[in-house]
Amino acid sequence: MITIENLKHYYKDIDGNEVRALDGVSLDIEAGEFVAIIGANGSGKSTLARHLNGLLVPTEGRVVVDGMDTLDEAKTWDIRQAVGMVFQNPDNQIVAAIVEEDVAFGLENIGVPGPEIRPRVEKALAAVGMSEYAKHAPHLLSGGQKQRVAIAGILGLEPKCIVLDEPTAMLDPQGRQEIVSTVKKLNQEKKITIVYITHYMEEALEASRVVVMAQGKMQFMGTPKEVFSRVEELEALGLEAPLAAKVASELRKCGAKLPKDIITEEELAQALCQ
Amino acid sequence: MSIELSKVTFTYSQGTPFERRALENISVSIEKGEIVAIIGHTGSGKSTLVQHLNALLRPEQGTIMIDGVNAAAKSKEAKAARHKVGMVFQYPEHQLFAETVEEDIAFAPRNKGFAPDEVKKLVQEAMRFVGLDYETYAKRSPFQLSGGQMRRVAVAGVVALNPDYLVLDEPSAGLDPISRKRVFQEILDLHKKRKLAIVLVTHSMDEAVQYADRLLVINKGKLMYDGAPSEIFKNHSQELRAVGMDTPHIYQLAEKLKAQGLQLKGEIMNERALVKAICEAKGWKYAK
Amino acid sequence: MLNNITLGQYFPGTSFVHRLDPRTKLLATMLFIIAIFFAQTPLAYAILCGFTLFVILLSRLPLLMVLKSVKPIWIILVLTLGIHMFTTPGETVVYQYSFLTITQEGLAMGGKMCLRLILLLLFSSILTFTTSPIVLTDGIENLLRPFKSIGVPAHELAMMMTIALRFIPTLLEETDRIMKAQTARGADFESGNIFERVKNMLPLLIPLFISAFRRADDLAVAMEARCYRGGEGRTRMHELCYVGRDYVAFAGVLALIVVLAVMRWGSPLIKI
Repeated sequence: MITIENLKHYYKDIDGNEVRALDGVSLDIEAGEFVAIIGANGSGKSTLARHLNGLLVPTEGRVVVDGMDTLDEAKTWDIRQAVGMVFQNPDNQIVAAIVEEDVAFGLENIGVPGPEIRPRVEKALAAVGMSEYAKHAPHLLSGGQKQRVAIAGILGLEPKCIVLDEPTAMLDPQGRQEIVSTVKKLNQEKKITIVYITHYMEEALEASRVVVMAQGKMQFMGTPKEVFSRVEELEALGLEAPLAAKVASELRKCGAKLPKDIITEEELAQALCQ
Repeated sequence: MSIELSKVTFTYSQGTPFERRALENISVSIEKGEIVAIIGHTGSGKSTLVQHLNALLRPEQGTIMIDGVNAAAKSKEAKAARHKVGMVFQYPEHQLFAETVEEDIAFAPRNKGFAPDEVKKLVQEAMRFVGLDYETYAKRSPFQLSGGQMRRVAVAGVVALNPDYLVLDEPSAGLDPISRKRVFQEILDLHKKRKLAIVLVTHSMDEAVQYADRLLVINKGKLMYDGAPSEIFKNHSQELRAVGMDTPHIYQLAEKLKAQGLQLKGEIMNERALVKAICEAKGWKYAK
Repeated sequence: MLNNITLGQYFPGTSFVHRLDPRTKLLATMLFIIAIFFAQTPLAYAILCGFTLFVILLSRLPLLMVLKSVKPIWIILVLTLGIHMFTTPGETVVYQYSFLTITQEGLAMGGKMCLRLILLLLFSSILTFTTSPIVLTDGIENLLRPFKSIGVPAHELAMMMTIALRFIPTLLEETDRIMKAQTARGADFESGNIFERVKNMLPLLIPLFISAFRRADDLAVAMEARCYRGGEGRTRMHELCYVGRDYVAFAGVLALIVVLAVMRWGSPLIKI
């Protein structure tokens, strides 16, 4: 679905120093995967996200989306239609003053004939459970609801992949839950490829693969089990393992013989109480 | 020395079709020196409540007394009393405005009427508390700093008021795990050194139990519980779940282990206590 | 503090006037304004007033609320009346004090001008009371479309209005929040002379501008990510279309214009 080859992205900051936001990242994202990307602030994960639909283009290396190189300007709009993007601030990505108008925005942009737009808008709103809010004003919705409207706006375009750049950073626990379950559902039922960027580790537990970023480089990756059992390495990178993994790691220091791959509370309970 | 809210009721847009009751008959007192966490859903009224702590919102009914002075009054004493309460709003970096970090932090003490050399001292102290080196950062533009640094400048801008009570609304929102921890560490250090009262508004039960010694649970504009976190979780976890608020992860994990037959003793409110209790139950030697 | 401001003055409803196409309402308002300038005689003004009253009743808006919309321009009305009263030359002197002379003609002229202004305002108020700003934007874009070839940026204007409508409530909330934050830091937005006040507003205005620019930046990126590339090749979910009642409304306003024109210049068909 998406191939990233030795991607480098440099830019100059206000003092004229070169910043290496991405410093040689290679990654293959398969169709239908749910990939979580974690990393501290400034690790380059958002810069990486913006390369996936051509909002940024590589200084060096290549990003190929569904056979289209993001450097090929003729393909820009096809790429953006294939890869939708949800951003961190729910307020700053909703364009229209009525929910359904906003969901229609993308479809209007790609020139879908008027009468075909409404059914697609309704379908998209239903998929994120926001049908009853179709006529509402976005500023009166909760953060979680706004983010679901943003997802619906992308679903209307029928993308193959959705990139979510810290979609829950500004939400309350309830809103976070709404987004995680919506994304999971889209991945499982509609087989949409998901790239999910977050610094909440519990959210990354839902992914099929976790990629850890730091200093513009990919540090390591694997299944959630493989990644989150490396408690100390994560902490060294400014990240945090899930609670059960941390407790298990502490217990091992006290001499306990516990399996290496404990990351959920159930696994910990089982290991301790057998 | 305390902030006393008694029978406070507040309604938004009163007398219009958009009227909405946000607080109902809330009585609570915050003593100097304690760390209180206020927890509740979005829209529960917790933000409205904290805005009453320094009378940014005037109660529709009820009174606010700060150290015995009616804070909602128009007098000079009332204004001075309000200035004893520092408020760090959500995403406080959005309120930065001055050309340099120093100027921005100096805003509050200057408004409070301190002399220039005192102001400078307060700025330096505030910057030390939030871990920003004065020499390096004082003359920089706050807008060229990273997100985490901007937040610290904004917090320093309130700390420089030298408040007796410091209210922080979601101080860790949008930060990564390490920055979240650092923010709380700074708040705890400040508390230790100055013995001021800390009021922490949060969505997260985990944060609340980790840092606070008293918990106020707000639901639908009413004060649902007021007490020690451990007591509230022990006695009311059912009720909390019924209104969609979960007990902290650490507490849940401990309960789960107990339910599966592990004999855990003592109050388990943080990770270290849990590890210790498990070690005791299993006969392992707890290593610090 | 600021969150109870309702946007525009839209008053939701389902009356005949509410359901008209926004273009019909915009054009009808323009035609009515032209008709106002045709009126000369008291009878003509009576017809205009009657027509306005009829439309207000038809819209089922509270009469008092519509009439109140004249209130903000009372100063202009008083000035208009005053200027005409004292400057119109005439024979019948009503009142004289040193060089100030009020004539009957002056009074009549001043009254007429005021009535014109009032009618103009009332009719445009009906338009904004019965049409949501969003629908109004659609109407304006649609009406301006034919002028694209001569350089009128119809789509861009409409997009700007849409975004403004979307973000005004958000920015108002933000203003409220920053104001409270700075008040808690001892800022004073209320006292002092005009210069001090402007200076005191900086801690509010600077963060507000910065935030607005940040939002604009974010929004531009989000729009690009959703394939926005200007008005070219864009379709719309709601295509506006005229129906029976729009033709009825046009007929009504046109009839009014014809009647007033005939009253002023006489009929080209029948010489009176």
